[in-house]
Amino acid sequence: MQESVHVGRGGSRGTRYLVSSGLLFAGAALLAAGCHGSSGDGNAGEKKSADKKEAESVTITWWDTSDSTNEAPKFKDLISKFETKYPRIKVDYQNIPFDQARDKFKTAAQANTAPDVMRAEVAWTPEFASLRYLAPLDGTAAAEGIGDYLSAPLATNHYEGKLYGVPQVTDALALLYNKALLQKAGVAEPPATMDQLKQAALAVKAKAGADGLYLVPKGYFLLPFIYGAGGDLLHTDQKKISVNAPEAVKGLEVALDLIKSGAAAKPDLNSGYNQMQAGFKDGKVAMVINGPWSVADDFSGKAFADKNNLGIAPVPAGSTGKSGSPLGGHNYVAYAGSKNLDASYQFIQFMNSAENQAYLAKELGLLPTRSSTYKLPETAQNAVVSKFKSVIDKAVVRPTIPQGGQLLISLDQQYPRAVSGDKTPQAALDAVASDYKQFLKDWN
Amino acid sequence: MKHRPDRNVRRGERSFGKSVLLHATLVGASFIAVFPILWVLVISLRPGFAGSSEVHLFETSSLDNYRYVLTNTKFATWMANSLVVSFATTALSVFLSATAGYALSRFRFPGHRSLMWTFLVTQMFPVAILVVPLYNAMNALGLVNTHTSLILAYATVAVPFCTWMLKGYFDAIPIEIDEAGRVDGLTPIGTFWRLIFPLARPGLAVTAFYTFLQAWGEVAYATAFITSDEQKTLSAGLQAFVTQFKQEWGYLAAASILITVPAGVVFFFAQKHLVAGLTAGGTKG
Amino acid sequence: MATAVAARTPARFRRTWDKYWYAWAMVLPVVAVLGVLIGYPLVRGIWLSFTDANEHNVAAVIGRLHLPDSYRFIGVRNYQSGLFGAGTRFWAVLGRTVVWTVSCTFFHYVLGLGLALLLNRPLRGRTVYRVLLILPWAVPAFISAFAWKLLMTRDNGILNYALSALGVSPLDWLGNDTLALISVIAVNVWLGVPFMMVAILGGLQSIPLELYEAAEVDGATPWQRFWHITVPGLRPVSATVILLGTIWSFNMFPVIFLMTGGGPGDATQILVTYAFSAAFEGVRDYAVSATYGVLILSMLVVYASIYRRALQSQGEGAW
Repeated sequence: MQESVHVGRGGSRGTRYLVSSGLLFAGAALLAAGCHGSSGDGNAGEKKSADKKEAESVTITWWDTSDSTNEAPKFKDLISKFETKYPRIKVDYQNIPFDQARDKFKTAAQANTAPDVMRAEVAWTPEFASLRYLAPLDGTAAAEGIGDYLSAPLATNHYEGKLYGVPQVTDALALLYNKALLQKAGVAEPPATMDQLKQAALAVKAKAGADGLYLVPKGYFLLPFIYGAGGDLLHTDQKKISVNAPEAVKGLEVALDLIKSGAAAKPDLNSGYNQMQAGFKDGKVAMVINGPWSVADDFSGKAFADKNNLGIAPVPAGSTGKSGSPLGGHNYVAYAGSKNLDASYQFIQFMNSAENQAYLAKELGLLPTRSSTYKLPETAQNAVVSKFKSVIDKAVVRPTIPQGGQLLISLDQQYPRAVSGDKTPQAALDAVASDYKQFLKDWN
Repeated sequence: MKHRPDRNVRRGERSFGKSVLLHATLVGASFIAVFPILWVLVISLRPGFAGSSEVHLFETSSLDNYRYVLTNTKFATWMANSLVVSFATTALSVFLSATAGYALSRFRFPGHRSLMWTFLVTQMFPVAILVVPLYNAMNALGLVNTHTSLILAYATVAVPFCTWMLKGYFDAIPIEIDEAGRVDGLTPIGTFWRLIFPLARPGLAVTAFYTFLQAWGEVAYATAFITSDEQKTLSAGLQAFVTQFKQEWGYLAAASILITVPAGVVFFFAQKHLVAGLTAGGTKG
Repeated sequence: MATAVAARTPARFRRTWDKYWYAWAMVLPVVAVLGVLIGYPLVRGIWLSFTDANEHNVAAVIGRLHLPDSYRFIGVRNYQSGLFGAGTRFWAVLGRTVVWTVSCTFFHYVLGLGLALLLNRPLRGRTVYRVLLILPWAVPAFISAFAWKLLMTRDNGILNYALSALGVSPLDWLGNDTLALISVIAVNVWLGVPFMMVAILGGLQSIPLELYEAAEVDGATPWQRFWHITVPGLRPVSATVILLGTIWSFNMFPVIFLMTGGGPGDATQILVTYAFSAAFEGVRDYAVSATYGVLILSMLVVYASIYRRALQSQGEGAW
């Protein structure tokens, strides 16, 4: 199509000019952007100083996964209090959206660019520890007052005999209900067993013109049913996969029955959680199974303009008479490669003190992890917090193995299959079990 | 630039019925094209709307969401960062693709065919998997949490495509122009900058617009490489409204509209070049 | 060039160098950047696909702790278990990816062509239509995904609201297996038609008017004019955009990831999202995700080669 153009050597000078100017331009653009853009590497940065203890200030980075709109401001308040108390330590606060945080931390940690302190979900902590990303906290300032912590949240921080974090907040699923709707349906007390739950929900549907219950078709929200029936995802001590054992299948069948009988509304398989909250807040759903994080959201809805209308009760007990609810929450962990471990320990110790936990409980409704905090008067009088405390006390700790975070992924995929009827309960849970076998190779 | 005349596909005028059909189809298609964005606009003007369980079509509107997004977040910073990154990416990519495209078009140098193939192949590897090795590469270069990392990453995605397209545009420019330039005593560089470049402006407009949009809306690398709030681009900053248990739909919608507006503005200025621009590249493959 | 250099290098290389050195210099920046940022991860990825590398056994730097690479070469075992292992979902996902790609590309092209043909006629408000129809292209993909997800919500999305207002029963756009796939395809088509439309419109405008007028004089029907003038005239444009469009759709990640996450179940999982979940969901399995990356790459390379050969046999293509 075209012939090659042969240009004599007379053109080479000009060409060289273009090439060098082009490279210079590109390089300058990059440099300019780099100089403008970089503000240190944003983590574990330490101002160059003498290496003595009385050094100038250090900066530690904290990656927080809390709700940036509602919760972050309060954490930032605590940070300014910290910086006042410890003028030599500056805290670079970064709010990282929860969905990205685990990936970002792991990517940064393997390249020595992770933050000094991280708010790690309970399922992530054993995983990070197994990858050697976390600094053990035994005997450090961060572990001060360790006997004061509630045992279940603390248990999520142990890995291979060492302590790799301290619990910041905890949560568990409870039965939240609309008192007015239940009254209208003639249900005097919140249901205490699954059978009562079904009857109450059907009564609401018949008499109060609203949906009795909304179940989120995700694995986490199925756990109360599994626990209530006496089952569990795994039996860690026996290295046994039990998600498809008869007890778990029974639990799943109870949940499916609630949906089929009309007691629970037909769940949206794509955005179930949002739909549940929308309906609950608008007074279209009488009962939901949800955690303390949703209470602030509920209060913003028209059904709970009067906060007293929100009832909190333990998850109904299953056939074994046991009411089981999965324990969640977040821990403070410190990066093993941090250059400022001492400052990090002090930071964790400060943020997690009893009075600061009480502050967060009061402002945000987050459940403290120290028993002493619950005894403080203003926390003890906080109705929501106290009601959830009794739920926490009975909560079930999920397996604290490094692969803990993966357990729900397969369940999230198969539970909707059972809900839509594509798979029988046994088949769905068998599929989950075989997925587990992929990463728990020597379990049975 | 050649003027493209209007075309009468049939002699005489279109019948009224056919006109109606034509316009109806176009109106319908335009509605489908525009409606989702309009809906986001509607949501952004009504606090609490998207989180409700009912669809309220007519309600009072307010700018609360916009006020919140603009004052309570680092929106202005993110916008500035996005502008810097997008424009720098565009400048860098267009420059690199233009020089490479010109070379590929004019000079049958050894390796030109494998280079074309390489540019095609690099578009085939799924970007999502490359995040970790790229992060480590950026870290090794000390570029984590800088705009440079994003500019480079986006350029690597944009340049192959742009080079392909620009080569086509340059192919459409007759070689006589190069030769005329040489006869006039211009160096190849001079020929390129003074004669070819202006003729290829439509193609460059397309390339620039495509690159700008890619950089403007990219999320994966932006969230992976940037760790501090001050460096975030708009698409990364927007994720702040997606929290662990709920999405702040109102703020997301308002921020989305605010993000779309500059892209729309750039687009409005570039669009008249778009149609003519893609022609020449297309006809030569 | 120094005569010393000229004296050392072989004569043929010297001639080639003289002739082409500035061409190489012009492409050098591109090659360098691509080499470092794409070439290196790509080559490393191909290597890793033959190992058992995961995040536990690749090198890491944690403070003063420098962990070396400790993964082992395992040959084609990843490919074997990925393609033929028990319980592998590769083929189902591949089949779905092909359905996805073919549907998207088909509708992209047909709708783009149709709209371009309509816009190519003289009519009032053409500019307005053009701007409105290209708008989806100007909106960042993640915003579009979020907007469509809202529209398609089963219980209170505006789409179902409109359907029930018309007396049609609402559909579970994103929760029903088949519907979910249709929905994500529809959204990807919505995103991609503007580009196709503009590309084809440009191609249409470069077909000489005289050809049409001559055909009309000869008594050709509109269909004959379309088939014998428009279609061949558009062939170069069509060839390019179909090739690129296929590659883009094949690897289109954000739409499915943000709208359904691959669900319900596996119903909208395509190879890229599948590879992503293998890469990041549990223990990061660099080897397995690299394996899928290589498989995706190989398939697309084969496709492009066949495509190119087909083009060349039709007399097109300069590459």
